[in-house]
Formats: sequence, C-alpha cells, structure tokens
Amino acid sequence: MDNAIYSGRDVVEFSIWDVLRNLLLAARWTVALSLITFAAGGLVAIILVLIRNRTDRWGKHVVVLYVQLFQGTPLLMQLFLAYFGLSALGFQISAWGAASLALTLYCSAFLSEIWHGCIQAVSKGQWEASACLALNWAEQMRYIILPQAIKLAIPPTVGFMVQAVKATALASVIGFIELTKAGTMIANATFKPFMVFSIIGVLYFCLCYPISRYARSLERKMNVR
Amino acid sequence: MKLISIKKIALSLVCFLVFSVLSVQAENALDNIEKNKVIRIGIPTDYPPYGFVGTDLQPQGLDVEMAQYIADKMKVRVELIPVISANRIPYLQTKKADLIISTLGKTPEREKVLDFSIAYAPFFQGVFAPKTTTIKSFSDLVGKSVAVTRGAMEDQELSKLTPPGVNMKRFEDNNATIAAFVSGQTDAVGMGGAVAVNIIKQNPKLGAEYKLLIKNSPCFIGIAKGEEELRLKVNAIINEAKKSGEIDKLSKKWLARSAGELPD
Repeated sequence: MDNAIYSGRDVVEFSIWDVLRNLLLAARWTVALSLITFAAGGLVAIILVLIRNRTDRWGKHVVVLYVQLFQGTPLLMQLFLAYFGLSALGFQISAWGAASLALTLYCSAFLSEIWHGCIQAVSKGQWEASACLALNWAEQMRYIILPQAIKLAIPPTVGFMVQAVKATALASVIGFIELTKAGTMIANATFKPFMVFSIIGVLYFCLCYPISRYARSLERKMNVR
Repeated sequence: MKLISIKKIALSLVCFLVFSVLSVQAENALDNIEKNKVIRIGIPTDYPPYGFVGTDLQPQGLDVEMAQYIADKMKVRVELIPVISANRIPYLQTKKADLIISTLGKTPEREKVLDFSIAYAPFFQGVFAPKTTTIKSFSDLVGKSVAVTRGAMEDQELSKLTPPGVNMKRFEDNNATIAAFVSGQTDAVGMGGAVAVNIIKQNPKLGAEYKLLIKNSPCFIGIAKGEEELRLKVNAIINEAKKSGEIDKLSKKWLARSAGELPD
C-alpha cells in the first residue's frame, strides 16, 4: 500500500492563542454545569436529609437505597443511562438536561450522606439537652445542632465539590462539549496532545484551587467564633 | 412530612413511566425529517481528515461535508452531533441521530443492530510503528503492545488477526490512542490510515511508518434498524453523487486520492 497517496490535507494550524481561547470558551460550560450541579444537588440533598430524619421507616429505606445506588455505580454509566436510557424509554432529553440530571442525582447522593453524617456526629447529649429546654425539632436544628454540624460539614463538602467540578468532564460521553471534550477535539486537530492537556490541567486547577482556598478561610472564620 | 406515603409516590411514578412508554409512537424517520425540516447527523470531531475542528471549533472534514451534502439534497437543515466510537451506535438506536456519518465500517455484528447505506468513502486500517521496530507479519506483534481505540473496527479485526500474546492496549477515544503511541507508551498502533499518516507527518521524531494492513474497509452511513425509506433515500443520494463525481471530489479534497471502486 502506497502511503504517499494517503497524505491528505494538511492539518489546521492552531496558534497557542487559538487553543487557549477555545478552551476558555469551553470552560464556561464546565463552570455552568458545576454551578447547576451544586445548586440542584444541594437542594435535593437537603430534601433527602429531611426525609431521612423526619419520616417513617419507609422514607429512610428509600433514601438509603438512593444513596447506595448512586454512590455504588459509576457516574459514566449514570450519564449514559440518563441520556440514552431515557431516550430508549421515550423521553427526549437534551445533552444539557441529561448531564444536569445525572450530575444532580450523583451529587445529591454524596452530599446528603455527608450532611447526614455531620448531623449524626453532633453528640446525642446536645439533642437531649435542647429537648429539656422545650425546643421543638426545628428549633433544636436551627439553634443547637446545625451550627455545630455545619462546622463539621465544610471540609468534606468542599472536598466533594472539587471532585464534582472534575466529574463534569465525564459529560463528554453524551456529546456535551465542555473543557475536556473541547480539549480532545483540539488535541486531535493539532496533534499536540501534551500542550493541549497541560493547558486543560492548569484550567481545572484554576477552577478548583479557589474553592479550596475559600473553604479554608471559611473554616478559620467559624473556628474563631 | 410523615403523612407522605412513599408507597403512593412510588406507585404513581411507576404508572407514569409505564404510561409514557406506551404512548410513544413509532414514527418513520424520513417523515420526521421532512416534517421538521432538519436532519440530525452524527459526525466525528476527533478524526482528521474525516471529522475534526478548525480554530473556531466548528467541525470540518470529509464526513462533515458529506452530511451537509445529504442535507442539501434533502432540502433540510443539518444538525451536526459530535459522536465518538463508543457512543455513535447508541445515538442511532435511541433515535437521537437520524444518520451516523462517522467512518463507520460494515461488520456482520453491526448489521445486527443497525442498517447501512452503500459506501461513500474509502478507508483502510493498518498497523503503524517506528521504522526501527521489525514487524513483517501479525505474529511479529507477539510480545509487543499495540494501541487501539476500544470498539473501533481495528480493535475487533486486530483481535482476530493476531495470535495470542499480543498486548492490546485499548483506549476510550482516538485521542488517547494517538497520545499513547506518540508518547511511546506502546510499541505500535492500529488505526485508520489517513489519520496515522497525518500523525507521522506531525511527529517526525517518531520515525513511524506503515507496517501491516488490518483491513480495507470503506465507510458506510449508519441508519437506525428498519428505517427503510430513509436508507433508500440516502442510497439514491450517494448513487447520484457517485455519477456526478461529487464523491470523487470529496475524496480528492480530503484524502488526496480518488474514491476508487466503492462497494454497495
């Protein structure tokens, strides 16, 4: 087989600026998807924690099952099922919708488990003492339990948020073009994967590092009080 | 909160699901395309010169132009969907795409789950390795590592051709396969000829060359199983394009060779 005839067209020339510009544009979607995930995932997690604390046996079982289901299966598979699985069942869902849905469910499972654990970690004596003061459940939560639980919850919550930012990269499997997917596309057009992936790495770091920094300052503030 | 019966919620959810599934109606893909005036076509974005991005991140390449050509002939708008080897068939099966134009080769396994048009472009897969590595036959690969893209034709074919003892390293997309070979993680790579030649040109230090032919497998357009009207329509467009020289023109533009004899 003669290779010369397969030489084809010359590849497109990307300048460093072209690469950086395109990656920054794609990073917008990573940020947007992360924000949706945090907001919706956090909200669902609060509801799950409430159900787990306030309902009968059934509610608890359902929440535990939910958490185990989403913690125990790969996110990649969840994304795949949310996009293609729902479609096969007849629900038409966009890549945006499927990515948000899967990441929200995934995030809420982890966050609810973290937060539930933090509430559990507040010693039983605190509940009993506040009950002696004739506080009802909501008052106990508001004035006694949550202020202590939140302090405990910050490090694991932030740790998970940083994980979640990076987890959005998996959404590329359903055709969602975010930072990583744009990077692979550019890497294949330029044939310079090392340059492109190094930039991607730096961009992810720029997204995640401020979150960790903010968490540390938040921890300090709370401990002083 | 305690009053909410989880049982009732679960029951109504199940009812809703069952109802929604039953209410889905089988619609003809061609009618849908003509009704909505849009055809959704899956194309590669990581496989030059068939599908890759320009500096504006817009896809271009042989497959992309073919998609545009078919849409023009059907007088509808084209919606391009970037697909990878691992997800292009699910896109078709779940009707998220009407057509897949993504250097899709025809295999008996694939014919069980989707239908094919007639071929529209030439394609071959080969094994490539540095000049210093001696590979004259598939048995020379024993004890060597070969990078391939999981689920791609070269993965399946190479597994059949090589004797046991070849270390097949499978990667999730072409990008990872290329990166592994270029960085020296594997001794050889099995991939499409046109892409490999570009990589070799871009990385002269590698000193890689063409070693073995895995398969000559022209590209076909994938269509969801049973969409006979759409398949006939696409075939008619390709046949017409072959006669008018459009297929040859595309091949010359992107692959620098004529399309040659393409099988039906």
